[in-house]
Amino acid sequence: MTVAEFAEKYSLEVLSMPDPSREIKGGYMGDLLSWVMGRAKADQAWITIMSNQNIIAVASLIDVACIILAEDVRLDESIVENAKAKGVNVLAAKSPAFEVACEICHEIK
Amino acid sequence: MKELSLNILDIAENSVKAKAPLTQILIDETETTLTIAVVDNGCGMTPDVLERVTDPFYTTRTTRKVGLGIPFFKMEAEMTGGSFSIESKAESEFPNDHGTVIKATFHKDHIDFIPLGDVVSTVTTLIQGHPDSDFIFRHVFPGGEASLDTRELRNELGGVSLAEYEVIKWIDEYLKEQYQSN
Repeated sequence: MTVAEFAEKYSLEVLSMPDPSREIKGGYMGDLLSWVMGRAKADQAWITIMSNQNIIAVASLIDVACIILAEDVRLDESIVENAKAKGVNVLAAKSPAFEVACEICHEIK
Repeated sequence: MKELSLNILDIAENSVKAKAPLTQILIDETETTLTIAVVDNGCGMTPDVLERVTDPFYTTRTTRKVGLGIPFFKMEAEMTGGSFSIESKAESEFPNDHGTVIKATFHKDHIDFIPLGDVVSTVTTLIQGHPDSDFIFRHVFPGGEASLDTRELRNELGGVSLAEYEVIKWIDEYLKEQYQSN
């Protein structure tokens, strides 16, 4: 399932979507950025509640399919602009991380 | 990172890369706060570079386009309601008085405070990896302090390398004893 299809199906808000046809091939959930950096993998959807500019760098480094902000976490406009500039997809969910993970699991299994 | 000592290692490695003859790791701890300063007399940075180092998309590395050592350190301090500062004088502009000072203050009683962790390992790792650079380590905490100055050690040792296993082992024990005696 692509990032755009996932956002549509589960009514996630699109904050940045420079690459809508990016395929989600797995998921990773974590907030300790150095930990995520060593463990998340390319093409996964990364679910987090962290909202500072470092998440864009971590996402770009790992080349995740998208960041999904859980629990209605918001980003500063400057961070959204940076995500667009760096080609990082960012979605925002109202539901908790666990539920977002379940939705991803449902789509890829 | 799971321990601040790993951040300290990362930041101090930058000092060594900046060709600092002397790097000081100064930790000042009270009951409620922890301040970490890394002070070096390396080549320093020009104002335009200094402005960009807290941006995670800035790095001096050529193998990848993202540098997270300083951005993470800053974020971890700010997450506890603390503060971060960086000052630098470039060798090109200040030939006799150059170097970088990075300072971060953490609130220990904040729930997002990351523990300091094993600083003794940080110090021995730095010395073993860079036996020709000098390091001053000083950790002041409630009720005591632990410190080491490799310049003094170097005088005592004559020509023996600081990277020798026996020397590193001695440093490790020397520092641990200082923590235990307090």
